[in-house]
Amino acid sequence: MVQLKTPLYEEHVKLGATISNFAGWSMPIVYESTIKEHLSVRKSAGVFDVSHMARILVKGPDSANLLQKLVAKNIEKAKEGRMLGPTAFLNEKGGFIDDIMVYKLSEKEFLIVGNAVNREKDVNWIKRFVEGLEVEIVDLTFEIAMIALQGPDSSKIMKKLSSSNIEDLDFLHFKKDAEVAGVKSFLVSRSGWTGEDGYEIMVPSNYASKVWSALIEAGATPCGLAARDSLRIEMGYCLYGEDIDENITPLEARYWVFTFNKPPYIGYKALLKKYEEGVDKIRVGIKLKERTVPRRGHKVYMGETCVGEITSGTFSPILNCGIGIAYIDSKHALIGAPVVVDIRGKKRKAKIVDFPFITK
Amino acid sequence: MKYKEYEVNENVLYTKTHEWAKIENGKARVGLTDYAVKKLKDIVYIEPVDIGQHVKKGEPVAAIDSIKASENVYAPVSGKVVEINSKVVEDPTLINKDPYGEGWILVIEIEKPEEVDELLKPEDYVKLLEEEEH
Repeated sequence: MVQLKTPLYEEHVKLGATISNFAGWSMPIVYESTIKEHLSVRKSAGVFDVSHMARILVKGPDSANLLQKLVAKNIEKAKEGRMLGPTAFLNEKGGFIDDIMVYKLSEKEFLIVGNAVNREKDVNWIKRFVEGLEVEIVDLTFEIAMIALQGPDSSKIMKKLSSSNIEDLDFLHFKKDAEVAGVKSFLVSRSGWTGEDGYEIMVPSNYASKVWSALIEAGATPCGLAARDSLRIEMGYCLYGEDIDENITPLEARYWVFTFNKPPYIGYKALLKKYEEGVDKIRVGIKLKERTVPRRGHKVYMGETCVGEITSGTFSPILNCGIGIAYIDSKHALIGAPVVVDIRGKKRKAKIVDFPFITK
Repeated sequence: MKYKEYEVNENVLYTKTHEWAKIENGKARVGLTDYAVKKLKDIVYIEPVDIGQHVKKGEPVAAIDSIKASENVYAPVSGKVVEINSKVVEDPTLINKDPYGEGWILVIEIEKPEEVDELLKPEDYVKLLEEEEH
């Protein structure tokens, strides 16, 4: 299969990135050092190419009706200029089709941002329910690039680069057509996936390089997907395909992407049933007592009993130890309890902790 | 000697799995090559086997974690592990900073001298890198 390239691919090559396949895309994994990139986001500012994310436009008079049936949060509560989410498309069993952000662009237009790995699945899923409705589904992923500026210095950088007062945007608010580095954007939102202040900038693909370069010029460190991963794990955020999938519901994941206070949507019934009956396993944090790194598939033990499994793990540059996300059998998912993780046949001391791993 | 941005030290021998071995008085000092280190980036943890342990050529002698991946260091020769660099265990970034110097990992007492002849000479290692980079 041909690997997809974002409009910034050549920039990544120029910067000497290690490029590798992620969800069918040739993406920069690391430029110079993941630890440096990670720390730049926690302490100053970093910039990520996130153009691989799915950007799907739902438009037409029936858009809100359609999404109200598919999305686990209340679309009626969506306001123009504000992001609704994180929320999700669920299947009939309450499992994740995808976790998404919804942007209400107008009464008749909604933008869905989903995971790269689910782009085609999301489009097909939405299209399954459009019969008889006046809606159009447009995949904007290739015409619009997406760049994330993240870190405590983000608003200073935006102030320098934009005349649209973007630095005044509230968290999870967005502005259409805002100007960034002389480019009229599709939209800019105050949001991100690192736990830091920051912005996500969507611009027409042919202007992506201009904005990217301006952000670096203004002081942001280019960051690869490895840093994006270690940053989101420190915050305890779920990655689709690792920590959540079609067989996991938001309940086990403790991922509050849904509401029961709206008309039934797909997955509502199964989710409500599970909510009342309880869950068999729970997503928690696992903090190692040393620098070794837990990886997906490593088993977690209490005494001789295997109580769960790591779904994603990394080294935390902030805590200076290994951390992981795990699903633990609900009888054993005790925050604070000591556990051991079997890493390469050796039992490593660790502790069950709640998210986020780092306090800010 | 260099291949692209990768330093290839001329005073050591190499394995196909990107370890180097410096042969001195019947012992082999072992580390990771600059190429291996630059590919791994950000080494955060290393755990060598215990001193006194006997290893066979090609067997793991140390487990390493970088942020991206968990890998092994393989024994370039068979023998007994007689020395471990406790400095790199405490601070694995030394391997990134100085792979052929302070970043050495352990010393093996060579059991079968003929295995040394099977190691790659620097110029052969450069050829290997050329192949790997294609």
